[in-house]
Amino acid sequence: MNKSLAVPEYNDEIVKKFTVASVFWAIIGFCAGLYIALQMAFPGLNFEPYFTFGRLRPLHTSAVIFAFGGNVLFATSYFVVQRTCRTRIWGSRLANFTFWGYQVFIVMAALGYVFGVTQGKEYAEPEWYADLWLTIVWVVYLIVYLMTLTKREEPHIYVANWFFLAFIVTVAVLHLVNGISVPVSLTSFKSYPLWGGVQNAMIQWWYGHNAVGFFLTAGFLGIMYYFVPKRANRPVYSYRLSILHFWSLIFIYIWAGPHHLHYTALPDWAQTLGMTFSIILWMPSWGGMINGLMTLSGAWHKLREDPVLKFMIVSLAFYGMSTFEGPVMAIKEVNALSHYTDWTIGHVHSGALGWVAFISFGAIYHLVPKLWKRKELYSLKLVNAHLWIATIGIVFYISAMWIAGVMQGLMWRSYDSLGYLEYSFVETVMAMHPYYIIRALGGVLFLIGALIMVYNLWKTVATNDDKAQFVS
Amino acid sequence: MIDYINSNAGVIGLLFFVCVFVGVALWSFSPSRKEQIESYKYIPIVEDEYDPRR
Repeated sequence: MNKSLAVPEYNDEIVKKFTVASVFWAIIGFCAGLYIALQMAFPGLNFEPYFTFGRLRPLHTSAVIFAFGGNVLFATSYFVVQRTCRTRIWGSRLANFTFWGYQVFIVMAALGYVFGVTQGKEYAEPEWYADLWLTIVWVVYLIVYLMTLTKREEPHIYVANWFFLAFIVTVAVLHLVNGISVPVSLTSFKSYPLWGGVQNAMIQWWYGHNAVGFFLTAGFLGIMYYFVPKRANRPVYSYRLSILHFWSLIFIYIWAGPHHLHYTALPDWAQTLGMTFSIILWMPSWGGMINGLMTLSGAWHKLREDPVLKFMIVSLAFYGMSTFEGPVMAIKEVNALSHYTDWTIGHVHSGALGWVAFISFGAIYHLVPKLWKRKELYSLKLVNAHLWIATIGIVFYISAMWIAGVMQGLMWRSYDSLGYLEYSFVETVMAMHPYYIIRALGGVLFLIGALIMVYNLWKTVATNDDKAQFVS
Repeated sequence: MIDYINSNAGVIGLLFFVCVFVGVALWSFSPSRKEQIESYKYIPIVEDEYDPRR
C-alpha cells in the first residue's frame, strides 16, 4: 500500500450538488409514493388525465429509484473514488455535465409520464429521446469514473470501486439493449421497441431484474463497502470474502430475470433457469450481508452510540431479509401464489425502503458534515428519531402487503365445489382496503422520517458556529 | 471447430465461467496471498485518521 499520505484537493463541490439533489428528489419521490398509496385506498384521488395512478406510478418509481437513488450513487461514487484512489476527480467539467445532464433527464422523463408519454416498460418508461440523452450522460459518467481510476495514487483499486464500476457498466448495457426502439418519426414522442412478443418480455425483465441487481444492489453495496468501515472506523470483516462476493454476485445476478415471467409464454426451461439462479443468489447476497455486519464484530457497542451506523446496520438486516424473501418468491410454486399480488410490492419495498433508502440515509448523514466541514450533525437524537419512525413505517408497509398479498392470491385461486371462482375480482379489491390504508400510514411515517432528516441536514449546514475543519 | 463451438455454446460457456469463478475463488483464498489481500481493506481507513485502538 502506498503510504505517502499527502491529501490531494478533492472535488467536493460535485459531491455536494448530487447530495442536495438526492435529498430533494427523495422528498418528491416519497410524496408521490404516498399519494399513489392513497389513490389505491381512496380511488377518488385519481384526477384524469394527468394525475391518475397509471401516470403517477412511474413518476414515483423513477423519482425514488433513478432520481433519489441515482443521485445518491453519483454523489457517493464520486466521493469514494477520490478518497480510495487518493486523487482528484478527472474532468471536473465533465463531472459537472453529468450532474446537470442527469437532472435534465429526470425532469424530461417525469414530464413525459404526466403527459402520457411512455414506452410502457416497467422501470424503462422514458421514450427514445430521453433514453438517448441518458446514454450520453451515462457514457460521460463512465469516462469520468474510469479516468479517475487510471490516475489513482493508490495502486490497488478498493472493492467499493469495483461495485460502482460494475453498476455503471452493466446499467449502460441494460439500458442500451432494452431501449432499442424505432421512433415513429424524428418529431414524434412515440416509438416502438425493436423486439417483439416474448423476446421483448424476456429482454425487459433481463433489464428489470438487473436494474435491481446492479442499480439497487451493486451500486449500494459500493456504498456499504466504503461507508460502513468508515463510519465504524474498522476495516471490512474480510477482504477476500468481498472479492468472492463481488464475482459471485456479478456472475449470478444476470441470469435471474426470467423469474418475473413464471407461467407465461416464456419457455419452461428459461423459467426454471431463472428460478435456479435466483436461489443460488442467496449465497452472494448473504455473503455480502455477513461481510458488512461482521465489520462490527467486537465493536457492537458502537451501535448504541452512533445512530448513523445504526442506519447502515439496519439496512444490512433488511438487505438480508429481502434477499432471503426474493429467492423464495422466485420458486415457481410460491410464485403461483405471490405473482401479480401485493406481496411483490411489499417485497420490493422491504428492499427499497429498508436496504436502499436506509444505506443512503446513513451515507448522506455521514457525508453532509464532511462536505460542509462541520464537526458533526446538528442532532444525533433526530437521526435516531428518523431511524425509528422510518423503521416502524417500513414494518407497517411490508406486513400490510404480506397479508394483503397472500389473501389476494388465495382469493384468486379459490373455487367452489362446482369449479366456479369463489370470489369476483372486485371482492378481492374491496378486501384489500384496510391494508391499503395501513400501507399509506407506513408511507406517512417514512415521509415524516425523511422530513426530519431534511431539517437536521439543513440545520447542520446552516449552523456554522464552530469553524472546525474536518478534512478527509 | 466453429461448428462444434456453435452447437455446444451453452456447455462451453458454462464450463468457462465456472472455471473462471473457481479460479478467482482459489486465487483469493489461497493462504499465501492472505496477508497481501487482507491488507487492502485498510485503504478507506488509513486515508485519514485510522486509530486501531478505537
